[in-house]
Amino acid sequence: MARRATLPMILALAITFVGFFTLIFVKGITSPPLAYGAAYAGVLLGLYILVRIMLPHADALLLPIVTLLTGVGLVMIFRLTYDVRGIENLATTQVVWILIGSAAMLLVILLFRNYERLLEYKYLIGIVAILFMASVATPLGYEVNGARLWLHLGPVNIQPSEFAKIALIIFYAGYLADKREVMAATSRSFLGMQIPALKYFGPVAVVWGASLLLLVVENDLGDSLLFFAVPLLMLYVATGRMAYIVLGGILFGIGAYAAYNLFGHVQLRVIAWLNPWPHAQDQCCYQVVQSLFNIADGGITGTGLGEGFAQTIPDVQTDFIFASVASELGLLGASALLLVFLAFVYRGIKIAMLATDPAAKLLAFGLTAMFALQTLIIVGGVTKAIPLTGVTLPFVSYGGSSIVGNFILTGLLLVISEHAGKQHAAARDEYYAGGEEYAG
Amino acid sequence: MNRHFRRIFYVFCCGFVALVGVLAYWQVYAKQRLADNPNNGLQSKRELQAPRGLILARDGQTVLAKSVKSGKDYKRVYPQGALYSNVVGYWSQRYGATGIELTQNSNLSGNAEPRTLDELLNQLSGGPQPGDNVELTLDPRLQKLSYDLIKNSSSGKGAIVAINPKTGEILALASYPSYDPNNIDQNFKKIQKNPNDLLLDRATQGLYPPGSTMKVITAAAALKKGVKPTDVFNDPGYYYPMGSGYAVTNYKGASYGNVTFQKALDLSINVIFAKVAVEYVGAKALYDMAKNFGFGDSYNDLPLQITPSSVGPPPSKWDKNYLATAAFGQAQVQATPFEMAMVAATVANDGIMMKPRIIKEVRSPEGVLLEKTHPSVDHRVLDASTAQTLNQMMQSVVTQGDAGAAKIPGVTVAGKTGTAETPSGAPDAWFISFAPANDPKIAVAVLVHNGGDSETNAVPLAQKVMQQALKENL
Repeated sequence: MARRATLPMILALAITFVGFFTLIFVKGITSPPLAYGAAYAGVLLGLYILVRIMLPHADALLLPIVTLLTGVGLVMIFRLTYDVRGIENLATTQVVWILIGSAAMLLVILLFRNYERLLEYKYLIGIVAILFMASVATPLGYEVNGARLWLHLGPVNIQPSEFAKIALIIFYAGYLADKREVMAATSRSFLGMQIPALKYFGPVAVVWGASLLLLVVENDLGDSLLFFAVPLLMLYVATGRMAYIVLGGILFGIGAYAAYNLFGHVQLRVIAWLNPWPHAQDQCCYQVVQSLFNIADGGITGTGLGEGFAQTIPDVQTDFIFASVASELGLLGASALLLVFLAFVYRGIKIAMLATDPAAKLLAFGLTAMFALQTLIIVGGVTKAIPLTGVTLPFVSYGGSSIVGNFILTGLLLVISEHAGKQHAAARDEYYAGGEEYAG
Repeated sequence: MNRHFRRIFYVFCCGFVALVGVLAYWQVYAKQRLADNPNNGLQSKRELQAPRGLILARDGQTVLAKSVKSGKDYKRVYPQGALYSNVVGYWSQRYGATGIELTQNSNLSGNAEPRTLDELLNQLSGGPQPGDNVELTLDPRLQKLSYDLIKNSSSGKGAIVAINPKTGEILALASYPSYDPNNIDQNFKKIQKNPNDLLLDRATQGLYPPGSTMKVITAAAALKKGVKPTDVFNDPGYYYPMGSGYAVTNYKGASYGNVTFQKALDLSINVIFAKVAVEYVGAKALYDMAKNFGFGDSYNDLPLQITPSSVGPPPSKWDKNYLATAAFGQAQVQATPFEMAMVAATVANDGIMMKPRIIKEVRSPEGVLLEKTHPSVDHRVLDASTAQTLNQMMQSVVTQGDAGAAKIPGVTVAGKTGTAETPSGAPDAWFISFAPANDPKIAVAVLVHNGGDSETNAVPLAQKVMQQALKENL
């Protein structure tokens, strides 16, 4: 476990600032209010130091990675929106969301340092998550681009699914940790595969089915995919049974076929995936075609920050922000950003591996798997590797709920990491006369 | 569990690697294909951010097209307006580009491979690249004179093409009526709807029956078959190519009796040319000679859109009536003024056709010479002695024949008139000529569409253009 990462932290902030100064220089624009930049840097640096003090045994590299990702996101959001009438202040709003996310993360650390408490309430958390997701069907909810995913809460708009996915992973982790042994035991075999007893699946299946149903009704394809795949992966690692993955694959095939035949918007996504070129100017494909034009325009080294035309992609600052990175920073920059995401996934998996109790392992794994899948799904979507389903690029895309949710996710990983780190340190102290591991 | 964590992690790793592969596919392998997609507006957006190169006349001073900063972007301005628009064309975000703006786009837009250190640095830094300047062979005074002559001609419609026969440089390429390429985005629809075909470059894309100017080609084919200028033919005022039925007659029903072949050219006697074509030349030889002179050629090396001139169907499909009338440029024979200027220039240059040139040179914005065109032979059309005989015959047309108005004091002029019947309206008035005949410096083709007879409506125009060119010593 990396214990110190001051240098990566400073590097992450430095990269962000170089990005901003490049933009200001290239575009000849007045800088955004300096107070916001200072607040951003100060808060993340403060957060880093606080976490180092509060959780001295936790993985120290997670926060520098988060800082770099939010920093790159901020630079790109500023670059894409500063001269667009109506959304010219989006970057400063994003800074505010980062501040709120940081506060939420601190709160998670303070309240759930003993995450066992959290896992005890797994059923309650699961039910609340489902109800929260269902709340968009009430008059408080509203539709954006044909998907009813949003909730008006006073002055802010919230996307409940961004928080529900974390809550559901807590539920799955708690439940599977309790029942994993009985679920792994097999009673029958079918086509050479071991089929486990079905009665323990009840709660998981209910929550799983309910969350998927809600998302399908709400027309949220990207989150449906996540809510479908993450529990399956957790089931697989909890039981070690490949059968769950195979079964999941079959279910996915059936579900995808049904969705294709039932929903016109799913068919459009498939058209936009298979051959969008004849429909380049049509609603179905305009966004993804513009995305590909901009990605291709970047080439190997990119057009340079501020020199691309990613603003031709509608709503580029949210789901399509990766296309603007690929356009302006090129294959090299975009690959580097993917590597940063992979580093986060690597640290997450590492935390899961080092954790000692099964619930913590499953929770860390579930959260990491969701982070990884979400990144793969949206980057795959904007590059037309897979059909486009709208999810945010974690920490980079503009979006309050997404930012805050991912800070909470990171907070949970940190407390799990702290717990494991402490135990390892104690164990080490017993066998060796103290030895400290450094990184960065 | 850790074993499974590791497995899943490897799967995720594969996913990230695959994404880098997909990115590489779009950003390296498919980059150019996507850039060329007609729906991709990014390149033209980029082009608006950097000044395009200048388009200049051959003096290097007269600006035909330039980019002027307007707000964030650059705007294309054409200081000479309609005078050069048939050659220079327009450059529009909405309607694409034509003319030199289109064919020289890679030079003008700065998208060509970097050729100076400045360009290389600019390209590496990804900054907006100013385009290179393109200098044309057109002479500003000759172009203006030609344009005004057509504008003030009997019908006010037509074209004048002037070429240096020894170098192939196009010195004037005027078409009237034309359009003002400034603010093309706003005016395009109006220009397109104008009944006068403003977008048609009559010099390079207008097809007209060449009439008696075609007799230069028929005479060349006849000389090759052994007919001599001194050979005597009888003109009773009519000629039945098939023995009976359709009869060729002369302009205004004239009959000339016994005349030499030279006289037949001087006075443009259709009956004798029809007889010579049918009885001495034959369809294949006439067709081949026209082809050799450039009929059917679109001059692909020349960065202008040239409509190929045509002598109609292949010679195997010609009957004697067709051959007889094709011999004096009627039937389905159609030529552009540019092609007929090439015919005159080829005869003038001892039978050698030079490659026509419109680009003189290309320079970087700092003035570094990047490209320069040089005179080069396209091919030999006539052997030197045939060309010399034809040259002398064409001199006689001016001294003894119907083109007296082409005379320039102190200079021998050679030429051939053409008054071509058109399906509608007055005949097309043609004149092709060159001077000085013993050391040609300028070859000119004049077409006044529906202009009337050649002698009064086309010949004087060519005379003025040649005189100006010789005065300038181009």
